[in-house]
Amino acid sequence: MGEQIVVTPVRHVSLTVSRGDFIIIVGRSGSGKTTLLNLAAGLVKPTSGEVFIGDANVRNMNDKQLSLLRNRKIGFVFQYPSLLSSLNALENVALPASFGPGQRRRNANARASELLELMGLSERLESYPRQLSAGEQKRVVIARSLMNAPEVVLADEPTSDLDEQTEQEIMTLMRQIHAEGVTIMIVTHSLELMRYATRALRMEDGVLTDITGMAGGIRGKS
Amino acid sequence: MNSIRLALKNIKGTSFRSLVIFLCVMGVAGFFLSTTLILRGTEHSLNVGLERLGADIIVVPEGADTKLESALLMGKPTEIWMPRGIMEQVAAVPGVEKVSPQVFLSTLLGAHCCSASEMFLVVFDPETDFTIRPFLEEELGRGLGRGEVIGGRYVFLPPGDKYIYVYAHPLTLVGNLEKTGTGLDQTMFFTVETAQDIALTSQTKAVEVLNFDSNLISAIMVKTAPGTDPHEVAFDIRMDVAGVESIETPLLFGQYRNQLTGMLWGFLVALGIGWGLSVALIGLVFSMAANERRREISVLRALGATRSFVFRSLLAEVGLLTLGASLLGILVAAVAIYLLSDFISTSMEIPFLFPSWGSFLILCAIGIALALGMVILAALFPALRMSRQEPALAMRE
Repeated sequence: MGEQIVVTPVRHVSLTVSRGDFIIIVGRSGSGKTTLLNLAAGLVKPTSGEVFIGDANVRNMNDKQLSLLRNRKIGFVFQYPSLLSSLNALENVALPASFGPGQRRRNANARASELLELMGLSERLESYPRQLSAGEQKRVVIARSLMNAPEVVLADEPTSDLDEQTEQEIMTLMRQIHAEGVTIMIVTHSLELMRYATRALRMEDGVLTDITGMAGGIRGKS
Repeated sequence: MNSIRLALKNIKGTSFRSLVIFLCVMGVAGFFLSTTLILRGTEHSLNVGLERLGADIIVVPEGADTKLESALLMGKPTEIWMPRGIMEQVAAVPGVEKVSPQVFLSTLLGAHCCSASEMFLVVFDPETDFTIRPFLEEELGRGLGRGEVIGGRYVFLPPGDKYIYVYAHPLTLVGNLEKTGTGLDQTMFFTVETAQDIALTSQTKAVEVLNFDSNLISAIMVKTAPGTDPHEVAFDIRMDVAGVESIETPLLFGQYRNQLTGMLWGFLVALGIGWGLSVALIGLVFSMAANERRREISVLRALGATRSFVFRSLLAEVGLLTLGASLLGILVAAVAIYLLSDFISTSMEIPFLFPSWGSFLILCAIGIALALGMVILAALFPALRMSRQEPALAMRE
């Protein structure tokens, strides 16, 4: 009673993500995958060790610098429905540009429109999240993650709650994005997704293990 | 999408929370404006009425000051008398520049000329008068003739009639004084000659006889000499002339003003309590909403919004709601008070005149500032807490 329980979701992790990688990290719920992703995005600071995004050490950055870095370099696909309910699809996709420089803001709607067209949602620009299916919402989120032409896209369980066909559609989109030079890092509990990866890792009790040899998938694309 | 536009979108999307805040703010702002408008309007009415009197001091029989206030304040006719000879004694007091007598009479009940059942009649001496004359010169370019009458705002000629009949005597209404919100609005002014004619007519044609004794007067209007202190002159009149009360007009309605001050404190306490409760309620509603929106805030932060952007956006939301609600509350209160000013005056038995535009706008600005202060105080801490939350932790919840 009254004892403090200390949880270490991520420990002894040393991971280098190279430009052009397509990394999939598998593990069951509670294994620390999401925390690892959050560390990589600078959404949480490590209690020990260091996280570098490019040359920038996350530990040494203030909130403004981190926010700017996330906005410019990282696209995020959340596990849960993350579209803002008060904005329509176009506005949701354009949202990251609001936190960027003036030029980006001015061209935001045009770029957002392009991305939604790429996702096959050109007819749904003015639809609100409640009017979109789960798969459509996920595609809007992916479009949003690409808004500021990031160097890396981090996706947390991007295909959870989706049927098999939609899951394949989403992963095909991810492949296309990767083919255009974007680095992808996905965390998932689904072993089937490993075949899409150039590198596969397993997260168990906060510890990361390389299991690339065990996975099929994209080869020679790093 | 800047913080203001995002705030507007969020207001639209959170109808219940927005409605609670909107109603609280509208209520506080409307209550503030309506109570201060009534108080200010009463004050304004008293000041205009006093200015209309034109005298520095009013001398009445001893003990009649309350009756005079009642007559001037609410137009309740009164009959107070003192010998005309007192006028010479008052005129002889050092510092008195001019004196002019007035006689107070009343119409019969149900006078058909006017919107009140009993009208206050004031007989003045055109030779010595300095209170009505300025208005007559400005409006008519001449004095008041025999058989003519000047009325307050509520004196009118009945449709189809050519004359106003007072004690069955026909009078020509030549003009109306501007509204004061006081008893002067239901007062008719005419000369001594006209009063004598009315008294004569009443003996044979009226239901009741009007007793008009030219040796008796009701009040003496006093103008003090330039450079003298009206307070000292009023004091000297009380000392030198037996059986009279001398009232400095700025101090008129003193008891009433004290009651107003008491009312003001009461309103302020009620407003303070309402304000405090609203702060608590809005703070609670905002905190509850904050919990619902943790993930949304986390998403914004993950997309690159700084803490400052989130904080500004949250405050902009409540700020815009407050602005809209306070403007609406103020508008509704102002229109209601304006349209119901006569009803307010009659039912609450207070003099009331809608204040000047300058006063009104200042009151509106204070009302809006109070509302903004209330909401910002309520929302500040929750907004700060929300903007500083760890994005990753909030995502997990």
